[in-house]
Amino acid sequence: MSTTPRRLYIFTGKGGVGKTTLSKAFVRYLNEHDHEAVYLTFKNQSLSETQKDENTETMIDGIKTVSLDLEDSARGYIEKRLNSKMIAGWIVKTPFFRALVNMVPGFNYLIYLGRVLEMGRDNPRLIIVLDAPASGHALTMVESTTNFQQIFESGIIFEDTHKMLSRLNDPEYTKIHVVSLPSQMSWQEAIELKSGLKMRTPVEVNITVNNCLYPLVEQNLSDLPAGLREKAINEKNLIEQHKTEMQCILPHSLGMNSKTVELDLVGSLSNLI
Amino acid sequence: MSISTKSFEIFCGTGGVGKTTLATARALAQASTGLRVLLITIDPARRLKDLLGLKEDSIGDICPVEVNHIKLHALLMSPEKTIQRMAEKYQTPDLASNRIVKILSKPYGGMNEILSLVEVQMQFDSGNYDVIVLDTPPGAHFLDFLEGIGKIRSFFDQSFVEIFSYIGSKTASAGKKVFGFGIINRVISGGLRKLLGYLQKFTDAKFIEDFIRAVQIIYQSKEAFLKGLSLQDRLKSKEECNWFLVTSVEQGKAQEAIEMKNHASSFIHQDHFLVLNKCLEQEMKDWHPGDEKLKLIRASLDIREKELKESLRSVFPHVLEFPEVMSLEPIEHVNNLTEKWKSYVP
Repeated sequence: MSTTPRRLYIFTGKGGVGKTTLSKAFVRYLNEHDHEAVYLTFKNQSLSETQKDENTETMIDGIKTVSLDLEDSARGYIEKRLNSKMIAGWIVKTPFFRALVNMVPGFNYLIYLGRVLEMGRDNPRLIIVLDAPASGHALTMVESTTNFQQIFESGIIFEDTHKMLSRLNDPEYTKIHVVSLPSQMSWQEAIELKSGLKMRTPVEVNITVNNCLYPLVEQNLSDLPAGLREKAINEKNLIEQHKTEMQCILPHSLGMNSKTVELDLVGSLSNLI
Repeated sequence: MSISTKSFEIFCGTGGVGKTTLATARALAQASTGLRVLLITIDPARRLKDLLGLKEDSIGDICPVEVNHIKLHALLMSPEKTIQRMAEKYQTPDLASNRIVKILSKPYGGMNEILSLVEVQMQFDSGNYDVIVLDTPPGAHFLDFLEGIGKIRSFFDQSFVEIFSYIGSKTASAGKKVFGFGIINRVISGGLRKLLGYLQKFTDAKFIEDFIRAVQIIYQSKEAFLKGLSLQDRLKSKEECNWFLVTSVEQGKAQEAIEMKNHASSFIHQDHFLVLNKCLEQEMKDWHPGDEKLKLIRASLDIREKELKESLRSVFPHVLEFPEVMSLEPIEHVNNLTEKWKSYVP
């Protein structure tokens, strides 16, 4: 394979479009092509009072899986900066700090992305595949730059944010995949998300259309019940109309559960590199 | 099954499941029986906005809407406008002009959830509506909205007290003028002062000052926020509120829904509804293909839906199934789902 992969792939899109299955399949694809890849998710969006958790790294079904916890990631960052585990542990427990992180839009992503990029720095061969939160949040994630320039006018966080974002916004480093379903409404939302992202970052943003029924049934349209036929024809029209804007068109998988669907997808992902 | 009408009807769910369309259809079904209905929604898809006749410049204002001769009122949430209304109602102009408050009330900022509740409370107080249907901001899962409210509750519970103790120690007389009650005389929290010292190393002194100022301003409007929070208790009452937790067959995340079910019980009452959207069962009922490939397609669609339903039914008290509407026209979606809702009218 001649293409050098990027270091960070972000999969985003509305809930239910298959981000998780697709990002896991992509990790498998990278592994099969002799790259060291990790599947990464965020466990929580805010500092929870009730649920205690931490960053974990496990092998799940042969995939290296890292799940980040917000509190643990925040503690790690402060610990490095202040050189004290104890003080860091105390700070993240204070109500004031919790309010700050929970109220300021994008603060959580700043903490998470800091940790993600640190992982990339610690292991220069590692490729990170991030299964990012649903679409509105993805904008907040990328937008946190602007917010933080408005909020913090100087200081360590301000400088760290700058460093972080210059890496995140490097087209050689990062690539974003917006995942969509082959329906008019989902497509419209994917297009809006893509243009929103393009306004905020110079990295490559591509749309993948997942779970297409039409390629499987184009020979058998007349054998389908009326509703499914209408669905398939709508898909056909959408795909024909926007084909050039779709980087990858993935057919509906005949797998009976998410694991088989995932394995089914692996072979079709070379475009995503 | 029949679903009786309550003063509040709340739709929670992730994006992409058709939550907004379902909420709109529910509001129309209620309005068609002659009830005065307000639909509060957040960021609907553009084509649904067009259908409702909502324009960009009407964001944050209540608009009369008519679909198929059914009339209701609709409000596209704008956190900024809600803040303005609060500032007017409670005469706290600083709330609408503070820089940090503005940032906190941006979309996906920490104040969105509580502001939706405050808006519902203010509209309910107006006495203009029999039913308020709230379509909550989409989250990573359907509890995000509920958790969000908790954020501001802990803010009021603890942080404020600490901060005022701190500020009280710094500027006792100025503080008294602002707050006019005893909190500033509380024991000074040495811990907070130390914390702010550390935080200043990370940000700068100015930000900390600005943030504290924003907190003071929010606190001045605490009556409005606390009213919003007290609404949460009414929403826990079976008599006053219907909860609809929405997911779709496409999402196929039974396990996730089940895990959250337990967690949800601390926020909502037990008599809630799990709405499963985009079901294909009816569509496939009479389809028995002979072709081998089609058989496999049918089986893959069928088994995923069946397993999902089974696991949902085993934990949720009521599961409502809505069919997938294939049409490209939003009006057909709304009509179709409205009819389905009407079938649940007692």
